Amino acid sequence: MLKMTHLSKVYRTEVVETYALRDFNIDVKEGEFVAVTGPSGSGKTTFLTIAGLLETFTGGEYHLDGVEVSNLNDNARSKIRNEKIGFIFQAFNLIPDLNVYDNVEVPLRYRGMKALERKQRIMDALERVGLASRAKHYPAELSGGQQQRVAIARALAGSPRLLLADEPTGNLDTQMARGVMELLEEIHREGATIVMVTHDPELATRAQRNVHVIDGQVVDLAEDPRFHQQQARAGAPA
Amino acid sequence: MLQIKPILAALKRHKAGTILIAMQIALTLAIVCNALFIIQQRVDRLSRPTGMDENNVLAIQNRWVSVDGKDTAPLIKADVQALRQTPGVQDAFATNSFPLRGGGWSTGVNLVPKNEGKSTAQTTLYFVDDHALAVYGAQLIAGRNFTADEVITADPKDIKSTAQVIVTKALADKLYPKGDALGKQLYLGGKDIPPSTIIGIVARLQVPWNGTWSDNFNDNAMLLPVQLTSNYTIYLIRAKPGQLADVVNSAPAALLKTSRMRVISGDRAVRTYEQVRGDAYKNDRGMAILMGVICVILLAITAAGIVGLTSFWVGQRRKQIGVRRALGATKRDILSYFLTENLMIGVAGVVIGVGLAIGMNLWMVSQFEMARLSIVYVVVGVVALLLLGQAAVLAPAMRAAKVPPVEATRSV
Ligand SMILES: Nc1ncnc2c1ncn2[C@@H]1O[C@H](COP(=O)(O)OP(=O)(O)OP(=O)(O)O)[C@@H](O)[C@H]1O
Ligand SMILES: [Mg+2]
Repeated sequence: MLKMTHLSKVYRTEVVETYALRDFNIDVKEGEFVAVTGPSGSGKTTFLTIAGLLETFTGGEYHLDGVEVSNLNDNARSKIRNEKIGFIFQAFNLIPDLNVYDNVEVPLRYRGMKALERKQRIMDALERVGLASRAKHYPAELSGGQQQRVAIARALAGSPRLLLADEPTGNLDTQMARGVMELLEEIHREGATIVMVTHDPELATRAQRNVHVIDGQVVDLAEDPRFHQQQARAGAPA
Repeated sequence: MLQIKPILAALKRHKAGTILIAMQIALTLAIVCNALFIIQQRVDRLSRPTGMDENNVLAIQNRWVSVDGKDTAPLIKADVQALRQTPGVQDAFATNSFPLRGGGWSTGVNLVPKNEGKSTAQTTLYFVDDHALAVYGAQLIAGRNFTADEVITADPKDIKSTAQVIVTKALADKLYPKGDALGKQLYLGGKDIPPSTIIGIVARLQVPWNGTWSDNFNDNAMLLPVQLTSNYTIYLIRAKPGQLADVVNSAPAALLKTSRMRVISGDRAVRTYEQVRGDAYKNDRGMAILMGVICVILLAITAAGIVGLTSFWVGQRRKQIGVRRALGATKRDILSYFLTENLMIGVAGVVIGVGLAIGMNLWMVSQFEMARLSIVYVVVGVVALLLLGQAAVLAPAMRAAKVPPVEATRSV
């Protein structure tokens, strides 16, 4: 489904070159639920934005659903984002000017879907996340957990094959986080491929597979000493 | 892809800016429509023909000093003689006024003695001689010119009527709508004043005034074969082709050589017809230019307002533009979002603006005898403002389209 080989991403500013990713290799199979963990600044978000075609990369190869994406033009990339990928952001990223219904409708309109089908899908998706009764509410009128569920409904409405989530529970309390996680697991059971970045080790363990990123590279947890140090530190206060 | 419903929904959440721009568009439309209309009216006014061949004509205003008005007949005769002999002069005559001069005589005309009823037509009177038509370059379309011995000499207060008159076609048609004015009679006064016979009709000759009060008799002029004796005498001179510049100097000099009992001074004393026309329509031209400047300024302010507000909105919405891009919007989708949004505000603005424009015009109609606004100006204004809006929004909208999808992941 998602295969990166020797991929690198360099951010160049006038003074420095930052290797956000280097020799990054990952292979996510269709239907997998992968959790990506790693310290802050290690390149998790960078990986996800490249995976989701929000950004281009500097070197290496990236095959999405069997297609090498580096040669696609902007319109083709937009189309893939729209049809194959669902995004869930840490900050929810609902459009504040639109109510819940209109927010969920956004990607469907860009797909040029007929009004009737849009309506059907929106109501289905809102039903899924348990917010059908809040369709006319504005994001500011919802709790964080509810907003994230709307965002999930928005990602789901277009029935994407790949769901990318960047710390979807990062801004939520434990209770709400659990609800969101359960929703993702349910979506996964129905066949979607999910890649989720998280800081929460407990959530990570609930995924089928964990990928650890350090300094822009995927590392094998068992072999990397840095991981053990970090685990020790993270575990200390608890 | 049109997205009217969600754009409308979003605009509802930004009422202040939306209403401000819509009102600005409405006001601009109202003012621009009316200003364009006024400009067109002024331009129509100042392009009205005098009926003369204005090239090569020179007007000299002469005031006699240390000689009584009624004794000026021989002096005028000598002047005209001298002018006609001046090199470069083709012909010349003495008169009381001329088209676009600004002042002159006007009177009522009737088909029966005047004191028996209201006059049929209003006209200006030009006291001329048999050379006038040649100097005017006016076109005689029926009848004949005066002969030299028909020209009488008279004092302004004694002149009541003349046996022969030449009238413009406009006046002739007003008096005799069937078009059979030639040879007919008209009255310039009461029962005791003898009637005049129309011996000739000229195609056109404008009155001396250009204000709105003379608009309804703008082309009603009557020529009377009279050499007026007066303290003021005006000479109209036709120069030979290409010699006008010389005659401007040589003609006044010739007059001064004939007699020194006169004053020819002031900036309106010696004027080519080009200057006469320029002076006459100074206010109209000024008004047209002022209105044009107002239009340009208003349109610029409105465009700047649209650029400003849209730029602000684009800046404010960078994040949601990124989100839209992440959710599959193409650059074109983003561009069309802002163009459509502007079009919708513009449409709301012009709908209100059309009402305002008509209201403003009706108010001016009631206050300043304005004509009714033609719908053409409203349509032109509407199209112009909508296009202006789209043009103004283009740059910020293009900036919006360039917001990268990765903007969605940037925190705040
Ligand atoms: N637009 C950018 N310009 C320059 N450097 C960037 C940019 N985006 C990310 N970086 C750098 O790339 C590296 C990886 O950043 P990234 O956001 O992917 O980390 P992360 O693993 O998501 O961290 P966190 O857990 O804090 O979200 C960091 O050193 C960061 O400073
Ligand atoms: Mg991150």
